[in-house]
Amino acid sequence: MSTAPAFERYDEFVGNLELIDDEDMRFEYIIDIGKKVDDSAFPDVMKVDANLMHGCMSKVWITGRPEGGRHYFSGFSDAIIVKGLVTMMTESFSGLTGEELASLNEDHVRKLNLGALTTQRQVGMLAMLEHLQKLARRNAGGGAQAAD
Amino acid sequence: MSTTAKIADAGPGAGLTAGAGDNSLSAFDVEKVRADFPILSREVYGKPLVFLDSGASAQKPRVVIDCMREVYETYYANVHRGAHYLSQRATDAYEEARVSIAKFMNAPSENNIVFTSSVTESINLVAATWGRKFLGEGDEVIISEMEHHANIVPWQMLRDEKGIVLTIAPIRDDGSFHLEDFQACLSPRTKLVAITEVSNVLGTRVPIKEIVRLAHAQGALVMVDGAQGIVHQGVDVQDLDVDLYGWTGHKLYGPSGIGVLYGKMEVLETMPPYQGGGDMIARVTFEKTTFQEPPHRFEAGTPPIVQAIGLGAAVKYVSDLGMDNIAAHEHGILAYANERLSQIEGFQFVGTAPDKAAIISFLVDGLHPFDVAAILDRQGVALRVGQHCAEPLMDRLGIEGTARASFGLYNSRDDVDALARAIEKAKEMLS
Repeated sequence: MSTAPAFERYDEFVGNLELIDDEDMRFEYIIDIGKKVDDSAFPDVMKVDANLMHGCMSKVWITGRPEGGRHYFSGFSDAIIVKGLVTMMTESFSGLTGEELASLNEDHVRKLNLGALTTQRQVGMLAMLEHLQKLARRNAGGGAQAAD
Repeated sequence: MSTTAKIADAGPGAGLTAGAGDNSLSAFDVEKVRADFPILSREVYGKPLVFLDSGASAQKPRVVIDCMREVYETYYANVHRGAHYLSQRATDAYEEARVSIAKFMNAPSENNIVFTSSVTESINLVAATWGRKFLGEGDEVIISEMEHHANIVPWQMLRDEKGIVLTIAPIRDDGSFHLEDFQACLSPRTKLVAITEVSNVLGTRVPIKEIVRLAHAQGALVMVDGAQGIVHQGVDVQDLDVDLYGWTGHKLYGPSGIGVLYGKMEVLETMPPYQGGGDMIARVTFEKTTFQEPPHRFEAGTPPIVQAIGLGAAVKYVSDLGMDNIAAHEHGILAYANERLSQIEGFQFVGTAPDKAAIISFLVDGLHPFDVAAILDRQGVALRVGQHCAEPLMDRLGIEGTARASFGLYNSRDDVDALARAIEKAKEMLS
């Protein structure tokens, strides 16, 4: 799990995606992220309903844990493209405080420069952000790991 | 259904030409048909649109678009109410649409045609009126394993409210539907069979006429979810002898927001109103309200006026082409798609019942259907992915979901080739 300073990974994704001016290439970039995910880092034991994020066309599992006042996330999907998006989101927004997470909004997702991808995926990424925020709130309150 | 194309009518939608030496009417000129649909000439992501999602909602021919614009621009007003020219003109057009739709379905009368907002509402209407009135604890309603949620949930709600029993007619592993399996579900307590005509996922056709015969012999009524059936094969409700038949306009090249419920008059007459409001009443006092006769009894409030008129135009469009010709064209496209797609290594058809309608659900070995559909989208190929509002069917098949290519009257062999190429591209990008 990333222990990088806040927003460093996010800034890296934003920078990379801004450099790619071809939409198809941006698409391939996400696929590449999805392909490079080490599947063993999210074992089957974590792919349970309690970690399932509802409302996606593919299965998405996200877990979160607080540590030293910051929140760390891990995610997985059975679809490569969604796995790429989940990875981008969890890595981008891991290591933030609850306040920093709460301050994130649609603009942060849009800055990833994936807005030209389909609306459904945009909605999906926003839904993921809201899920991360919900997880952080719950974990800060000492509740269960899953948001739902 | 017996529909005859009007070859001599060279108006919009005259994409039918008698081929040289071809005495049949099956020489369907798909390029002329495509020219009737403005959206089909557009590009997405810089690539020609290949629209293979008609099963979700079909595109609209110019005659429908023009018809609806004409209503709004020249004679729009509320119907059945105004004492003025526009209202009378709109009322006439609205009721003429009902007549056209009745003829299209070979209903005995336009009074058998209830306008709803969708097939979902048509089914809910029957469950909430006929179902509440005539079904009691222990009464059985048969549905099938391949129903859309719209033909499951309303009956489940009734089950929870009234204690009825839902019996699920099985399908075979290849997605085929067998009468003997269905017959085994019938019992003396069967009061209703509510069943799809064509599976929205598998394309499997259900032998409605035989089901009606068997159900009637048991004293049960039959309601058909015709959303996917009527678009591929038309319908003759008198020939089927079906009691209730619901369908939706937007899948038949008409507008969204308009659906139809056909009912035999002796059934409709027994049904109480669905919703209360204007237009469905005969007389209202604070003490008592009396209701209109069918179909107006079931049409409370201002109806989807322009959508109904637009659906009338859509029905005329497909009637002019001829449902038999459309069916023959789609049969040819499906056969070509079966041949072309089966050449792709790792391509798996989901649902291989004989005599399917032009719907192909599929998986590609090792790839998630969402990934496949997303890459196809980038190639300009539009199709649907997921569970297709049929989660119990996915459970039955033991899969999470599928990608689905659903063909319409405007699809060509070129579309099939584009689909095949895009799938190969997806394999290349995702592997």
